[in-house]
Amino acid sequence: MDVSQYLEIFLDETDEHLQNLNTQILLLEQEPDNMDTINEIFRAAHSLKGMAGTMGYKRMQTLTHDMENVFSEVRNGNIKVKAEMIDVLFQCLDALDEYNANIRESADEGTNDNEPLIKQLNDIMNDGKEGKEEAAPEAAPAPEQQAASTGGKKWLEIKLGDSERTVLKEAVKQGKNVYGLTVVIQETCILKAARAFLVFKAIEEDGEIIVSDPPTQEIEDEKFGFDFSLIVISGSSLEQVIAAASNISEIQEVTGDVLDPDHEAPEAVQDVTEKAAEEPAEEPAAMAPVSAPAAPPSTNKKAEEKKPAANKPVVNRTVRVDIEKLDTLMNLVSELIIAKNSLVSASAVSGTSSTAVNEQIEYLESVTTSLHESVMKVRMVPIESTVSKFPRMVRDLQKKLGKKMELYMTGEETELDRTVVDEIGDPLMHLLRNSADHGLESAEVRKERGKPEVGSIFLDAYQDGNNVVIEVRDDGNGIDTQAVRNKAIERGVITPEQAENMSEKDSIELLFNAGFSTAKVVSDVSGRGVGLDVVKSKIEALSGEVEVKSKLGEGSSWIIRLPLTLAIIQALMVDIGNEKYAISLGAIQTIEDIPPQDVKLVQAKEVIQLRDLVIPLIRLNEILDIESKKNPEENMVVVIVKKGDKLAGLVVDELIGQQEIVIKPLGKYVSKCKVISGATVLGDGEVALILDANTLI
Amino acid sequence: MEELKATGEHKQFIVIKLGEEQYGIDIKYIENIVRMQHITRVPKVDSYLRGVINLRGEVIPVMSIRIKMGLEPDQETKSSRIIILKLGMNGLIGIIVDEVKEVVTLESDQIEKIAYDSKDDKDSFLWGVGKCAGGLISLLDLNSVVLENL
Repeated sequence: MDVSQYLEIFLDETDEHLQNLNTQILLLEQEPDNMDTINEIFRAAHSLKGMAGTMGYKRMQTLTHDMENVFSEVRNGNIKVKAEMIDVLFQCLDALDEYNANIRESADEGTNDNEPLIKQLNDIMNDGKEGKEEAAPEAAPAPEQQAASTGGKKWLEIKLGDSERTVLKEAVKQGKNVYGLTVVIQETCILKAARAFLVFKAIEEDGEIIVSDPPTQEIEDEKFGFDFSLIVISGSSLEQVIAAASNISEIQEVTGDVLDPDHEAPEAVQDVTEKAAEEPAEEPAAMAPVSAPAAPPSTNKKAEEKKPAANKPVVNRTVRVDIEKLDTLMNLVSELIIAKNSLVSASAVSGTSSTAVNEQIEYLESVTTSLHESVMKVRMVPIESTVSKFPRMVRDLQKKLGKKMELYMTGEETELDRTVVDEIGDPLMHLLRNSADHGLESAEVRKERGKPEVGSIFLDAYQDGNNVVIEVRDDGNGIDTQAVRNKAIERGVITPEQAENMSEKDSIELLFNAGFSTAKVVSDVSGRGVGLDVVKSKIEALSGEVEVKSKLGEGSSWIIRLPLTLAIIQALMVDIGNEKYAISLGAIQTIEDIPPQDVKLVQAKEVIQLRDLVIPLIRLNEILDIESKKNPEENMVVVIVKKGDKLAGLVVDELIGQQEIVIKPLGKYVSKCKVISGATVLGDGEVALILDANTLI
Repeated sequence: MEELKATGEHKQFIVIKLGEEQYGIDIKYIENIVRMQHITRVPKVDSYLRGVINLRGEVIPVMSIRIKMGLEPDQETKSSRIIILKLGMNGLIGIIVDEVKEVVTLESDQIEKIAYDSKDDKDSFLWGVGKCAGGLISLLDLNSVVLENL
């Protein structure tokens, strides 16, 4: 059987399991006696092992197997959780992560056997009390068996044909054993057919499967519930066969017994079995009565058949969708919005706008807007998937840096576009490392300063209007702007004269310069001078911005603002000369009407004064090489845009209006123009360029 | 071009005119030919990049190969066309031509390749010259016309 079709699911699930393990082991470190945590870890490790086995990743399987053994001993109370053990376990997770990364890239796990880790694991095992010589995997299904035992002796229901009966009798004559088996797969299992296939394989190692119910073909096509029955000829003992089958992960239960080839399936039951086999497609949860599990198994075989389906957790009602399909959907929605815009402008131009047409257009508008919102929501995922690896990272940093620190996270449920969530991990990691390494002082210094010895790092995420804000904060030393300036002079980034006139804010901006690092000692945590500039460019690539607030001695905070969506935005259309440009509404603060005589000159640059603020003026027609068609005597239309807490006034000729626009990339050929962030197609089919307020300021 | 010799197969070219000279563009690079339309200027880019157009919802850059090849700037007429090319991974790009004439099929023996050493500045945009009934056709080397300086 080809397993490559399961690769995607395998990778996704492995990620989930690894993340789960990370979280749980962190918990375990704090509460070494928490049985729930240990059980959870055990389950995750067990599933991982099984999945790796299914996919044929032997090294991964071996490593998880040994990890599982350790957890099994812990669970049985034979080993106590120790700090060294946690360290080894984390290393194992890293190794597994590596396998996973290799598989993702090349569908191959790589060649690293991780022998030292396996040895360490075995040492832990041996150090523990001499546990019962009990193979871990066999212990695994045991507790689960009690939880839900549905199987019964279904193999008895298999109706034997004459030829099969002859084969069985022949086998008995040759001194082989004939067994009936019923295998129950866990209801949470996704790769049912793959599991069944493995069971088949395991049994066939020393035996032969004569009959299976449902037939093999149906099992391969996953046309069965959560159990199947087999009649097997085998040279091994019944226990061996059952053990071999239950060794496969996600197998909930295997029951079996020696079968008399002459046995006759009871007629009554037979009918039901056949009936059930005919209607596997009709098994969805909704059909089975809720009370089914309570029904006594002997009275109604059919109800029993349906029980697994009825028990299916509601949360499983999701569909995994390829992100590309969502992209296509999003593109189609974009097209629809453009078409809607065309319709609006067409009806305005033709002048035939009757009330009825207008009403329909408004209705269409509201539908497209909700459609856009829904598609956007589908693409949104909580940032949890990205940030949940940070507690582990901070723990490692703590050991590496010899500082005491604690990470507090809030708002993990905040949602962002999937692509943004994937991209935001690295910048956040840089910022956290930065806080841990440069921000927080050592325990002694903290004590001297009257701060709690354990430093705190906060990661808060929340939605703010059309933006999502992620804040990384620490209660460390804050940014020493003098040190920053000195360093900048040393590095030749600025001259001493420039440094003297530099504001606190500008000094902090220096940190984002490429090749800048204030760490006195270069550590492998941070301080290689790649980092903050990368953070900034990455976030800007996502149309976001970073802002820094710092108070010397009290800590600093890094505030990242990201737009909720990247593809469709509300924009203000403006006219400059005879060209139309779009400015994202998110960047716009206010729009002002300024008489020309209010423009003042400061350092030969034009500024205006607005409610006590001095705002620099940017004449867009000069920047964009357009001839303004406006009379210089007239009042100017100034669009005040904001970047962080910097403001600037963009002078335009005229305002056209607000519009929902779809951002289209300009492509490589015209990427030289920095002030343009993209283009959009207007209702009349013309292309308008989108001004990037961030680079203008 | 190598496979041409080996198999002796023919190739199709679209013949365009820039001024008086005829040029040929390998048909496999051509995605579409559209009439001249409003081109939205993009500021601060090289002068040969005329701007962007909307082709069925896609925003596509348009360049003037006249300017790129050092000829007189384009004079838009009724017969001006934009040829949309697809070159490798760089996406679509349009080039403005004075006129699209016809499609010709050239056998490999009708094509005379230009050797490297005989290249002067202008010829470096060509990879060969085709001979057919309509006269000589300069075969454009699109990679050097479009991709150079990218």
